[in-house]
Amino acid sequence: MAHDHRKLYWQIFVMLFVLTVLEVGIVYIPGIGKGLLISALVLLALVKASLVGLFYMHLSSETTELKLTVAIPMMIPMFYALVLIIEASWRMLRNVV
Amino acid sequence: MSAEAAAAHDHHHHHAPRQEDYPVDPHYGQATGGKMGMWVFLLSDALTFAGFLLAYAIARGGSPQWIPDGLPVLGINFTACLTFLLICSSVTMVLAFQAASEKNRQETLKYLGLTILGGALFLCGQYKEYFGLELLGGIVANINADWGAWVAEGLTDEGLFFGTLGGNEYTAYGSTFYMITAFHGMHVFTGVTYLTVIFIRTYMGKYDDGNTNHIEICGLFWHFVDLIWILVFTFVYLIPE
Repeated sequence: MAHDHRKLYWQIFVMLFVLTVLEVGIVYIPGIGKGLLISALVLLALVKASLVGLFYMHLSSETTELKLTVAIPMMIPMFYALVLIIEASWRMLRNVV
Repeated sequence: MSAEAAAAHDHHHHHAPRQEDYPVDPHYGQATGGKMGMWVFLLSDALTFAGFLLAYAIARGGSPQWIPDGLPVLGINFTACLTFLLICSSVTMVLAFQAASEKNRQETLKYLGLTILGGALFLCGQYKEYFGLELLGGIVANINADWGAWVAEGLTDEGLFFGTLGGNEYTAYGSTFYMITAFHGMHVFTGVTYLTVIFIRTYMGKYDDGNTNHIEICGLFWHFVDLIWILVFTFVYLIPE
């Protein structure tokens, strides 16, 4: 029962810290493209959120069914976000062309 | 005493079932009823936040100028410190869970206390961000006038308001900002209260038997609050105009 996970917990902490520094750091890169910046920020946030969910909320050691119970509903707003991004991109392109 | 009577007697003295007491469910393993309940609640809560963030994205994406002239741009550096505070309080939370599984009451209390401290400091930071801390600012001003002015001043002093509060003109920028961050802040407050209850129960020795179920469920809520903040920090603060 009482396995020692301290090392793993601290490793995740270090990763969350480094990724946060990276997030703040890239915002200050002069002349970085907006599309690249937003993609990188969203990706970093999703990685951080996954680390918290998998290792601090112990989803990694739950059953596949519990993992899917959590993951599938979360895909609905992500799908909606994707639709919004595609729609916004289409509008931008239409205005250019 | 027969085996059944002994089991019934034993059962009577357990206030909460241990994770290992649960029959192995073919789908959910030994996840307790409480844990499943918390996960279902967190899913509904996550969808509420998702609704806010999507509405925010639609409002912001559709506006020609998101930040009206004269209104403050949200500070990233101070908020990054608040983010770091929540990450710290997440690691202390899992360390409390680890200590509880080893039946170490003192260490559990130490880490739960640090987790509560992290949450409370986050709330203080959010108060400073909204309203400024005038008293503390006055003291800091004795050391450095600029720092003092920064501590004393909040976003409301710079003209950023929710709705038409303060007699100001409505801005989607101000209203969505307070809506989302205050809703998250209420979760931090709830988390600090919840953690305090768990702290008191740990102090009373309720978890000395190594039953980590309640501490783990409280941890799920607390880590969720951190997880949501990670997304809020990115969408509301980091993505520039």
